[in-house]
Amino acid sequence: MTAPVPPSGDIHAYLAEFEDIPGTRVFTARRARQGYNLNQCAMSLMKDENRARFRADESAYLDAWNITPEQKDALLKRDYNRLLDLGGNVYFLAKVFATDGIGFAQAVSSMTDLNFEDYTKMMLAGGRSPVGNRSIKANSGDQTAPTETN
Amino acid sequence: MARITAGIATSHVPLLGVASDQGKDRDAYFGPIFAGYDWTRAWQQAEKPDVVILIYNDHASAFDMKIIPTFAIGCGERYASADEGWGARPVPDVEGHPDLAWHIAQSLVLDEFDMTIINEMDVDHGLTVPLTMMYGKPAAWPTKVIPLAVNVVTYPPPSGNRCWALGEAIRRAVESYGEDLNVQIWGTGGMSHQLQGPRAGLINREWDNRFLDGLTGEGDDLRRIPHLEYLRETGSEGIEMVMWLVMRGALGKRTRALHRHYHVPCSNTAIGHLVLRPDNGEGLDMTDDGADLATAAA
Repeated sequence: MTAPVPPSGDIHAYLAEFEDIPGTRVFTARRARQGYNLNQCAMSLMKDENRARFRADESAYLDAWNITPEQKDALLKRDYNRLLDLGGNVYFLAKVFATDGIGFAQAVSSMTDLNFEDYTKMMLAGGRSPVGNRSIKANSGDQTAPTETN
Repeated sequence: MARITAGIATSHVPLLGVASDQGKDRDAYFGPIFAGYDWTRAWQQAEKPDVVILIYNDHASAFDMKIIPTFAIGCGERYASADEGWGARPVPDVEGHPDLAWHIAQSLVLDEFDMTIINEMDVDHGLTVPLTMMYGKPAAWPTKVIPLAVNVVTYPPPSGNRCWALGEAIRRAVESYGEDLNVQIWGTGGMSHQLQGPRAGLINREWDNRFLDGLTGEGDDLRRIPHLEYLRETGSEGIEMVMWLVMRGALGKRTRALHRHYHVPCSNTAIGHLVLRPDNGEGLDMTDDGADLATAAA
């Protein structure tokens, strides 16, 4: 038989470790709660008639959803990093960029420090290296344990 | 009895579906990706599985934030292609196998896997892109499919160990089904990719290839990889690879690789594809000459 696998154990330590990954927002329960209405709003764009209403008057469409002013502002500006910070999840936000007729790679590139052309070149050259992108702590030489934010 | 005769792993990038649907699958960008599936397409014509248990994740298509099942099994008669925001893919409906699916669902619950049972849903690129990669553009899919959706979007997803154990339980369930059926199990998603934040575009070729190595043979180290390692090393969406472990767990102690393909990039993602044969004295070597089929196809 296979060796037993220890359970993950401490939920607080498990969640805290996610905060140590550079440039990454892990979709935790905290973000799922914070972004619930935002993500459900984005999800409504799965329907063609809703896409048409959204395109006709984005601000009015968003007002019908119980999202925060910050979420509304970030969505109107298509500021995807801010939307992630406000609880958005990329698979739900994908309904927004699909409505805009923008491909996944282009939308994703807007969250990085590269424009779409340079992002495409980076992917063709093998993608972003994990070297230097694994750990905020390791990058800063700080050995203190990360703390949970929720 | 029914038996699992092979396991297949493949990425399920939505752009691959677009490329196939728009006839771009042999162009300069997509050609090298699709060429890595030619061997499998030829081999599948000899294998002719009756049913595929297809492990995938829904990408905010059938499931929104209202209900988040960790493991959900499709027991319906058929599933339509989902409209993911740009219109449904023009692919055939997916025909289910309700008898075997319900048998597996019941067996899994008795085996202490508390499954969510789905009778009606649409299926998105996570399920239809793997079918396209394995079969091209037929008028009807040549196999029945049992969808098995895993939550890998909202944390925490199931552990790799739990996914592997689910695969082991699926194998027991299939082998206790009376009808003689040729069943394959596919694990989809991955490999390294990150679709969000300033670190988007992360690819880890070395890690991915070690993962491919680890699926072959007797080792089971992969089941002990924590979520944090997938996130750090393979990007936030690399966590999808836990679904490959359901497939691997269903193949028993030992596997043999029949075919392997790896390519960077497809959009934001590293493409990985592996065809595995259970290698535990089952006598499943009827198409060991799959290599010859591939040569003939090339």
